[in-house]
Amino acid sequence: MGLRLKIYLVCLFLTLTSFCNATSEDVLIKSAERTIDVTSQLVKITHRLTLSNTGKSSVNSFNFHIESRAQQKLSYFKAQLADGKDSSGVLKAVSSTVKGVLTYKVTLSSSLEPGQTVKVLVGTVFTHNLVPHPAEITQKEKQLVQYRGSAYIFSPYKIASQTTKVLLSSSSVESYTKVKPSSQSDSTITYGPYENIAPLTEVDIVIHFENNAPFLSVANLLRHIEVSHWGNIAVEETLDVYHGGAKLKGSFSRFEYQREHSGVSSIKSFKTVLPELAADVYYRDEIGNISTSNLRQEDDGDVSLELRPRFPLFGGWKTHYVVGYNLPSFSNLFNSGDEFVLQMDLISHIFDHMVIDDALVRIILPEGASNIEIETPYAVTRLPDTLHFTYLDVKGRPVVEIAAKNLVENHIQPFKLRYTFSRIVMLQEPLLCVFAFFLLFLTFIIYARLDFSITKDEACDNRQRAAGIAENIRNHYLKRSTLFQAFETHVVKLKSSRDINAFQASAKNITSDLRAQTLDLPANLKSEHPQLNDRVTEIQKQDKAYRDFQSTHAQLVERLVGGKINKPQFVDAEAILIKKRDELVEKLNHLINTL
Amino acid sequence: MISVESMSRYVSPVNPSVYPHLSVLLLLIGTFFTAWFFVYEVTSTKITRDLSKELLIAFVASLFMGFGLMFLMLWVGIYV
Repeated sequence: MGLRLKIYLVCLFLTLTSFCNATSEDVLIKSAERTIDVTSQLVKITHRLTLSNTGKSSVNSFNFHIESRAQQKLSYFKAQLADGKDSSGVLKAVSSTVKGVLTYKVTLSSSLEPGQTVKVLVGTVFTHNLVPHPAEITQKEKQLVQYRGSAYIFSPYKIASQTTKVLLSSSSVESYTKVKPSSQSDSTITYGPYENIAPLTEVDIVIHFENNAPFLSVANLLRHIEVSHWGNIAVEETLDVYHGGAKLKGSFSRFEYQREHSGVSSIKSFKTVLPELAADVYYRDEIGNISTSNLRQEDDGDVSLELRPRFPLFGGWKTHYVVGYNLPSFSNLFNSGDEFVLQMDLISHIFDHMVIDDALVRIILPEGASNIEIETPYAVTRLPDTLHFTYLDVKGRPVVEIAAKNLVENHIQPFKLRYTFSRIVMLQEPLLCVFAFFLLFLTFIIYARLDFSITKDEACDNRQRAAGIAENIRNHYLKRSTLFQAFETHVVKLKSSRDINAFQASAKNITSDLRAQTLDLPANLKSEHPQLNDRVTEIQKQDKAYRDFQSTHAQLVERLVGGKINKPQFVDAEAILIKKRDELVEKLNHLINTL
Repeated sequence: MISVESMSRYVSPVNPSVYPHLSVLLLLIGTFFTAWFFVYEVTSTKITRDLSKELLIAFVASLFMGFGLMFLMLWVGIYV
């Protein structure tokens, strides 16, 4: 019994100490300044906290509570050191739900010693947290919304002094809950300063004010990023956009809309900022291209695309469109050998103060990419990899699919996707085209060889065979004639160069070439094609005569060069020879051509 | 694992700005060989036809046509 009690006591003690460590009651918030920005459709809250360690041991982390009414609507959380630079001072935060309260445990970069203070900046962004009231308005009416929150910061620690500033989009406030001391000046409502507020104290406040900012949300975003190693990254976004503000009551009058500029809360157009190197931008929907869009290069280099849907968007109205563009590969793709890294924003800007309810990002890698690893800037759901089939694919392109919910502009952060890709594989696509063409030609080669005739036409066959032989003979003699011409050129050259040795060497070459040429005539030529045979015999005779002429001519020139005959004698002899040759050439050509 | 900072920016092995010229040139040469192939096919008879010559012309033609077609696709924006 005694032992049991002891164990109970030990257990109780352990639980108590662990509880104390977790909540760390030694922390006191000396001063807190909170800014609630409700100028757009988002609720952006910044807390500037001065934490102080009043305990006896050092503190490494602190907890930050999110009010339970808004925790479903929390989109973004960021904690950083107030005096540190924006990027360097970011603190690690881990979320968990303790007793139904969403709590972020923020780890300090260096532990807080007793008596010390640290300034921390905590930023949160909530979506769909402004409720249109009334929920339905006519075209002429202005949009009024309600913000519900607490006058005090919902904190697990005691706050010595705190003030809250609410920044509104306009100075027309219907009503706001007064918690002394509180005041309104122009479009700002100030609550506080409040002194020594106990932990977890809440005082509900409601602020009812006019907000005609565009309440534009993306219900579904499908973002395709297609990487091509031929130097391009194609991005295409398919969006379902809706106006999440007060719904339109009654009918829409185009006349009133144009003439009286009514419908202040409706959305006529919005601006999408594209990356600096975006090119070939398109904007279309199911019907086709939407011509009401403007693309311009901003001074800061970004490309801004002003999109104007086919109709103005009123509360509850929806539109669906596709925006796409190309980026050069060097803007986002890095490599070292076969190792590639795609570094790109997971989502991109769609419009200012945007809300994306559901996003699906599909990153399509080139066919043959392997060892895919992805590093995302924040927690997302990675769906199982799939395959995508498009032009010139064999086994499909690997696709990395990422799903995320409830995103805002702060989520425009780059992911890193690593993969291995052998560049040789790039040749697969052109070779596929080459193969397809070759197959086409091959089909024709086979088709040309097929014989669909019912009867065998002997006469036609014979004619074709004769034509074939004639073609063969013609080619043979055409080749010979080029050699003859070459020989003659050498003879002419000899006249001027007078280099007998060189001439004889080249003459020998040509003679051996001529000898090497043989004409294969079918043995039955005489019996089968007697006419052709006669022609061939005639050609052979003329050919021989021509050859004889050439050797005579060569000898004559050699004698001239050797000084055995004088010039006038040579000229006379050559003139006769040339005349004879011209006749021969004509005859031979005629014979060959009419074969 | 190599850090992104130490990697170089990836550029295509063929400069994308020459895709139009390349596709036109390759397709012209390809068309020439294709024309030669078909002219040869229809003018030659089964006696004079030479398979090796046919295959050679077909291969050269398909080589130029294939690469030309792929660069044409890249030119028009079908990034394969």
